[in-house]
Amino acid sequence: MKLLTANRLTDGLVLWYAGGPDLSGWTEDAALATRLEDEAAAALLEEWKARETEVVAPYLVPLVDENTLVKREYVREHVRANGPTAGQTAFDTARQHQRGEVF
Amino acid sequence: MYVYDQFDHAMVTARNAEFKDQVERRLKGELSEDQFKPLRLMNGLYLQLHAYMLRIAVPYGVLSSRQMRTFAHIARTYDRDFGHFTTRQNIQFNWIKLADTPQILEDLAAVEMHAIQTSGNCIRNTTTDQFAGAAKDEIDDPRPWAELIRQWSTFHPEFTFLPRKFKIAITGATRDRAAIRVHDIGLQLTDKGFDVYVGGGMGRTPHLGHLIKSGLSGEKLLSYLEAALRVYNRYGRRDNIYKARIKILVSALGPQEYARQVEEEWATLDQAQIDAPHAEIARIKSFFPQPAYADKAFDAAALDRTKAADAGFARWVRNNTLAHRRDDHVSVTISLKPTGLPPGDASSAQMDVMADAADRFAYGELRVSHEQNIILPHVAKADLYDLYRLLDQNGLSSANVGKITDMIACPGLDYCSLANARSIPLAQDISQRFADAELTDKIGDLQIKISGCINACGHHHVGHIGILGVDKQGEEFYQILLGGRADEQAALGVITGKGLSAEAVPAALERLIKLYLELRTDETERFIDTVGRLGRDAFAGALHEPA
Repeated sequence: MKLLTANRLTDGLVLWYAGGPDLSGWTEDAALATRLEDEAAAALLEEWKARETEVVAPYLVPLVDENTLVKREYVREHVRANGPTAGQTAFDTARQHQRGEVF
Repeated sequence: MYVYDQFDHAMVTARNAEFKDQVERRLKGELSEDQFKPLRLMNGLYLQLHAYMLRIAVPYGVLSSRQMRTFAHIARTYDRDFGHFTTRQNIQFNWIKLADTPQILEDLAAVEMHAIQTSGNCIRNTTTDQFAGAAKDEIDDPRPWAELIRQWSTFHPEFTFLPRKFKIAITGATRDRAAIRVHDIGLQLTDKGFDVYVGGGMGRTPHLGHLIKSGLSGEKLLSYLEAALRVYNRYGRRDNIYKARIKILVSALGPQEYARQVEEEWATLDQAQIDAPHAEIARIKSFFPQPAYADKAFDAAALDRTKAADAGFARWVRNNTLAHRRDDHVSVTISLKPTGLPPGDASSAQMDVMADAADRFAYGELRVSHEQNIILPHVAKADLYDLYRLLDQNGLSSANVGKITDMIACPGLDYCSLANARSIPLAQDISQRFADAELTDKIGDLQIKISGCINACGHHHVGHIGILGVDKQGEEFYQILLGGRADEQAALGVITGKGLSAEAVPAALERLIKLYLELRTDETERFIDTVGRLGRDAFAGALHEPA
């Protein structure tokens, strides 16, 4: 199981694939990301790699199960999914999405 | 400070127009990301973990109040209301939109600033002593020489695609506050000219620079640097990014052989075509006069009475001021290390306050230090209390300069896409653990430097206590180094003990400090001196919980 993530070209913000054919189907809220089976994830990755006017540097994040990141990816992807853990913008992401931490 | 001439204006204007066009073409899909990435990096624009980051050059750390207000404007208008001052004396904004960058660069150009040479394998912003032109122990002012190097190196066609990035630091004082021995080239101004150190650096393979020339005339500086860079550009490794810095070449050849090749190359150069004429050096020096010092009556007894009545002020004067070349002035360091907040960050409101403070009390001038603080280089002693109160009202009066809580920390994994571990939360925890002012004063001078990865942007190799974040299969661990220092007795710290979890580090430091306080001969023996006297092994046991 995997998540597809990238940064939006125009502002660089972290996005998560949440279904749909265009950029409006992506979300800034990792909690809403579509959990993808491996084969579907690989196909979507190839599709979005070519759509460079919308997202930059898409890649797949492996999951152990629906809500658990693979341990070796943990810190980096946890920070990407939840925003900086320190400083002026800490927990902006959680506030923005009115939720607690994900993963 | 230096004022742009027609060439500077023309270069920056042309570069901004070029980049504006490149951004538009990228947004339209006419440039791929692979094509665009090197172009944006040449203009200081990185894509980090959460967003684009714009790194703006502060040439040799010197800022006017007007420029600081422009940073405040950028923070407010285009970012999330704060900026991060870096260990390269620059500033970074972490939440920049790609489409906004051309306008931001125009705003910067209006105050004679840019983001050129803040990325890429070129000669980066030259750094120097944050007290240049003010310090009592200064032999010669390094700023004109840093400006000369800026003019020579900007868009230098031969050195735009070096094997790797290249950093030069200059100091003109007896105390090295510019960390010259851990730069690719470190320049020490003496009364006989420049001493030239080459091959220093941190990162994966730390080295201290080697002295390869003494007494180099300032009028020959550029041609000698050109020869040094040319040898590196010719023989520096391009096959392995981890071995591409000049420190590896100097180490492989040996400093003497490298120096011989530089001399040989130097002899072949048409030096007169490269070196700045005496008149040009004089012209550049003319931009760095002493300020028109105000003759304000200073009453030492009155200052003592104020200090006696306000302990916070007394501590701030003791820790945050440095002797000035004039007896009636001091240099003031505004600490950006308040308890529990990220080192080096300032809000837009604080930037405006610092600009106001510079205008009211410091002849409109500020500096950024590589320790991530802001300096008002020239402050009349008579104004100290008014300045302190202004800073205190705005969360800028932390009186901890040079103390255990005055930490350097890179952005780490909270922002940086290269990092392996977080730096800022650890710095915050340490800062809270040692928040007691009496304790930090009792501990005395102690430098903690934290990096979130081996690239060492947080200078962990030269911290009295260095902390390096590493990733072990998805968990953050921190290696502790002891005994590093970046001053005129530069030394590299050595990893001591096993890696610790983030939660364990503050307590380990507490045990370490407790042991130091027991072992020091008296309160004048600093932590680094005690480690030097007794050796690191004497402290290794304290890092770990007793079994």
